[in-house]
Amino acid sequence: MKGPAVWAEGLVKRYDGRDGVVEAVRGVDLEVRPGEIFGFLGPNGAGKSTTVRMLTTLLTITSGRAEVAGVDVAGDPDGARGRIGVALQEAGLDPRQTGRELLVLHGQLFGLGAAEARARAEHLLALVELEEAADRVTKGYSGGMERRLDLAAALVHEPEVLFLEEPTTGLDPASRLTVWAELRRINERGTTIFLTTQYLEEADQLCDGLAIIDRGVIVREGTPRELKEELRIRRGNGEEPSLDDVFLDATGRTRDRGEGEVQEVAA
Amino acid sequence: MSATITLGRRALREAIRQPDALFMTMFIPLFFLVVNTGQAAQIFPSDSTDFLEGQGYGAFQLPITLLLAASFGMAALFLVEEIEGGYFDKLRAIPIPRYSIVFGRLVAEGAKGVVLSSVIVLLALPFGISIASGPAGVVLLVALTALWGVVYAGFMQLIALKTRSAAAVNSGGLIFFPLLFLTPNLVPRDLLTDPMEVAATVNPVTYLMEALRSLILEDLDWGKILPGFAVVAALGVVMVALNVRMIRRYD
Repeated sequence: MKGPAVWAEGLVKRYDGRDGVVEAVRGVDLEVRPGEIFGFLGPNGAGKSTTVRMLTTLLTITSGRAEVAGVDVAGDPDGARGRIGVALQEAGLDPRQTGRELLVLHGQLFGLGAAEARARAEHLLALVELEEAADRVTKGYSGGMERRLDLAAALVHEPEVLFLEEPTTGLDPASRLTVWAELRRINERGTTIFLTTQYLEEADQLCDGLAIIDRGVIVREGTPRELKEELRIRRGNGEEPSLDDVFLDATGRTRDRGEGEVQEVAA
Repeated sequence: MSATITLGRRALREAIRQPDALFMTMFIPLFFLVVNTGQAAQIFPSDSTDFLEGQGYGAFQLPITLLLAASFGMAALFLVEEIEGGYFDKLRAIPIPRYSIVFGRLVAEGAKGVVLSSVIVLLALPFGISIASGPAGVVLLVALTALWGVVYAGFMQLIALKTRSAAAVNSGGLIFFPLLFLTPNLVPRDLLTDPMEVAATVNPVTYLMEALRSLILEDLDWGKILPGFAVVAALGVVMVALNVRMIRRYD
């Protein structure tokens, strides 16, 4: 891949709401390097989902430009869709299909032949450790199994960039660690990962680069280490700040106000 | 086209795995057939009622049964479920023509319509109902019923795409439903009261019902059959255009 895996300049999304025009994203610039795990953080309603949905062709862009894997998202949406995998906040699964059927279907929709789609499904079921549940309809899957199958479905065409929205929200700690391990394996094979999360420890553990969005604009960007170091120097008290501190500082929230929005899990 | 067929196969599999929905699709129309025929058969004895063409009143009621069965498709509700659950977005993020996501479901509705109408015709035969237009008439009867099912499901999908709400889809069904009854469903059009005759004449479903009824009670009469197919074709063109427009603009 030449150039950035994800690139955006002046990205804006406006909606016509009942109370007038709502500007959910107000000029976002982004650059994610190929092979990176990039975390996109922000409080609820900050514009994370809207940005991801524009980058993945699911929402029209009001103004600005975006490219994924070098393809203009608005100019060639099908080209972009062929290069990205998407697992959104709601694990989007067809409840009346088995895990295997769903993966084969997705393979075929991405243009694979029937035999190749079946083989790819087998491989992915092994990758996400769902072989035993492969022939059960997904309606009976646990939250963790749904997440892992959704992840597998996003990988069926071996995308260059994988977009994940809140990939571990609602999972128990064990399932969360399993998803983290899977994401690292996927990334080691060369796939760029762009993920949104509210779990700051997750971002700290997984991400090479971070951006924090608040009220539709990027308020911090850098590696976790850079962001913490910048805050430590600015505070000048010598204490090593956590990513929580960076987040709270960037979004102008206190710990009290941030309660319920900033959550952590033990690794 | 291949994406439409692939998604159509998936929708058929989905229907097969929801047998309770298929049961209701069959049960309610057959219930109306039995009840309406039981209530009115003595008023309209076959030997002295010209419009029955020598058959029982059940044969006269069969078209509304077929249209009801074809109008009970679950495509729009399954679509709303996918929108709410996020699978619709998953499909929208795949490089396939977006219309194939809705057309796949319509292909499945067509296939279901063929099976359901064939089963209803077969179930009607032991009760003395025959298809006077012969084997070709049976094919036309099944085809016209299935095409109506596709058109009706297509309009319900429009409501699903616009509102993204199961409640709105159900309400939409209630709005369209009276169209099936503002027709000459109990007696021929010329025996209706004047206001009902006007309402039936401007209702396109009337021509569909009269075409089906003609296939059941008479030899092939193209003067009655073609208006039925013309109505389905015209509504189908509108439905397809609106579905394509709606899914392209879906944001």
